[in-house]
Amino acid sequence: MSRVLSGRRRLFRGFLAAVALLAALCPNAAWAGVPTFTVGWSVYAGWNPYYYMYRSGILDYWAHKYGIEIKVQRFDYAASLDAFVAKNIDACTMTNMEALDMPAAAGVDSSVVIIGDYSNGNDAVLVRNDLDLAQLPGRPILLVQKTVSEYLLQRAMELNGLGGQIDRLKLYNTSDSDIVGAFLGDRSNQVAVTWKPLVSEILAQDKGVREVFNSSQIPGEILDLLVIRTDVLNRPDGSGKRFAEAVTAAWYQTMAQLTGTGPDAARAIAGSAAASDDSVSSYENQLQTTYLFRSAQMAVQFTTSATIKQKMNLVREFCFQHGLLGQSVYSPDDVAILYPDGTVQGRKDRVRLRFDDSYMQMAEQGKL
Amino acid sequence: MRPRFHPADLLGIQVRPARLWTQSLGWVLFVAGIALYAHLSYVRHKENPYDRVAPTVHQLYQGMLTSALQPAEEDPPLDPGASLWQHIRYSMLWKDTVASARRFLIAIALLVPCIILGLHMAIFPYFGAVFQRFVLFFDKIVALSLLPILFIVFGIEEWSKIMLMVIGVGPTLVLDTFNIGKSVPREQIVKAFTLKSTNLDVAYRVVLKQVMPQIINSVRLNLKPLALFLFAGEMIASTDGLAYRIAIMRRHMGMDIILPYLLWVALLLFLLDVTLRFANRRLHPWYQSL
Repeated sequence: MSRVLSGRRRLFRGFLAAVALLAALCPNAAWAGVPTFTVGWSVYAGWNPYYYMYRSGILDYWAHKYGIEIKVQRFDYAASLDAFVAKNIDACTMTNMEALDMPAAAGVDSSVVIIGDYSNGNDAVLVRNDLDLAQLPGRPILLVQKTVSEYLLQRAMELNGLGGQIDRLKLYNTSDSDIVGAFLGDRSNQVAVTWKPLVSEILAQDKGVREVFNSSQIPGEILDLLVIRTDVLNRPDGSGKRFAEAVTAAWYQTMAQLTGTGPDAARAIAGSAAASDDSVSSYENQLQTTYLFRSAQMAVQFTTSATIKQKMNLVREFCFQHGLLGQSVYSPDDVAILYPDGTVQGRKDRVRLRFDDSYMQMAEQGKL
Repeated sequence: MRPRFHPADLLGIQVRPARLWTQSLGWVLFVAGIALYAHLSYVRHKENPYDRVAPTVHQLYQGMLTSALQPAEEDPPLDPGASLWQHIRYSMLWKDTVASARRFLIAIALLVPCIILGLHMAIFPYFGAVFQRFVLFFDKIVALSLLPILFIVFGIEEWSKIMLMVIGVGPTLVLDTFNIGKSVPREQIVKAFTLKSTNLDVAYRVVLKQVMPQIINSVRLNLKPLALFLFAGEMIASTDGLAYRIAIMRRHMGMDIILPYLLWVALLLFLLDVTLRFANRRLHPWYQSL
């Protein structure tokens, strides 16, 4: 009998210890009722700074100032989008194309809070044997289908007067994790469309490969954004707005460091390169083909320009043409985009993606 | 008269449930699963009518019709006057199923030499000496990690995917056949020799004949790893196939196509399994286990 009792007592003590441990592990913020937000990001030259921003304490500084807590979590790109659409995270980095065809098309009202950069050569069409674009039809083309790679390829054909041949392209869906090996391993594969650093890896390992088209020829069409769910932004307690303000402030402080000079810039670049285990030189090479909106002013200017509407129109037509907006969508207008000046691309009652420049403007005017 | 049901019977070993019960209880979890999904879908659509994560029953039905009757996006559209058969014959589902099934069946055909090898290893000591250690080692290699090498050797077309399946499942099957073959009593082999059998007679007419049902069961168990490797290969590089379509649809959360595809794959695997089981019972009525 006494043995049973002592056993129970031990069990009880163990239980107490477990509770104490759990309490210690729980973030203190949660107890204090501080609103906590999560930003998801994935590896890409223009998004790596989020990792540095978090690690260096810049983000914490601003979050603290606005009385909130911000967590940053790294994902694979596709998984980050899934998590965002499933509302598991509050903000996520993505391109303009995915912002439209993933959350917006799935009815998750999304707001673009930061336009970070556009791909200015990061995405490229690679060929062997000095092929030119007119020779592509009929040859297998390795790429991740239904992504900006396919968009880039289609634009390359259109801009070179080969729009009529797009249907004859033989696309070979290849996962980005294996595209380098698949392209380099078999010389009969003559065409691949991919992005940096994969492009650099391929070019470095095979001198017979060259770029026949890249995204610097379609500036401003592949945008890299930070998107926040609109319902998070509009939380009645105002914490969502504070979240957006804190992230934006931290972002432009990071940008200033990254594009500045001196030891701070070196640290920011090394910190961002570490986000993807890249060497500093490789990361700098990627930054050269990434057009960063260094200051809030540049970003606001682009967001309020007429150019962005024209570029987004190309992207949404592409998404619609390829069925990326869903089976039951009969017109690109069904997933409408709202711009800062109040104009709507598409049906006014179907606004799903909003370019909201108010936070970037506050950063520009030093109000953060 | 059967005794009345008592709640304690649920935990009893010596109970004999009525046939009605055993039949209907088997469906309970299916019904619960469907109900749970319907509820989830309803809740999500109430909150967001454009939700894509959990399509409604109607959307799933539409997805099924589209995939079974409409050509794939990359193919030319059908003439308006096409017959139902033409609709099915040129549909996305048909195209993907044929592509995947071809790879699958070729891989299964290539497993036959693996079975023969395992049999020889079990019976002929020199075969065993040469192959056993190597196959044992090769079996532990994670096939997926070989993919870059497969691409280099076999290109990215059909053969790298087929070889991924064969390399992934083959060694396991060789070892299994080896073990099964070893379990045949030595006395039988000696007896066969005393009855003037040749070496090959013993191998193919005494041993293989009686271990065949067990080998077929082993193949049945390996159907799922085969499908897994097929899916991995198709998702990584391809232009058609069931997993290719799922990978493409994932890009924009086309769950209305993905879910019917998953069910279709499950059905195909189930039918293949049933066919093998049925064939096994027909060909080897003397085999009792299972």
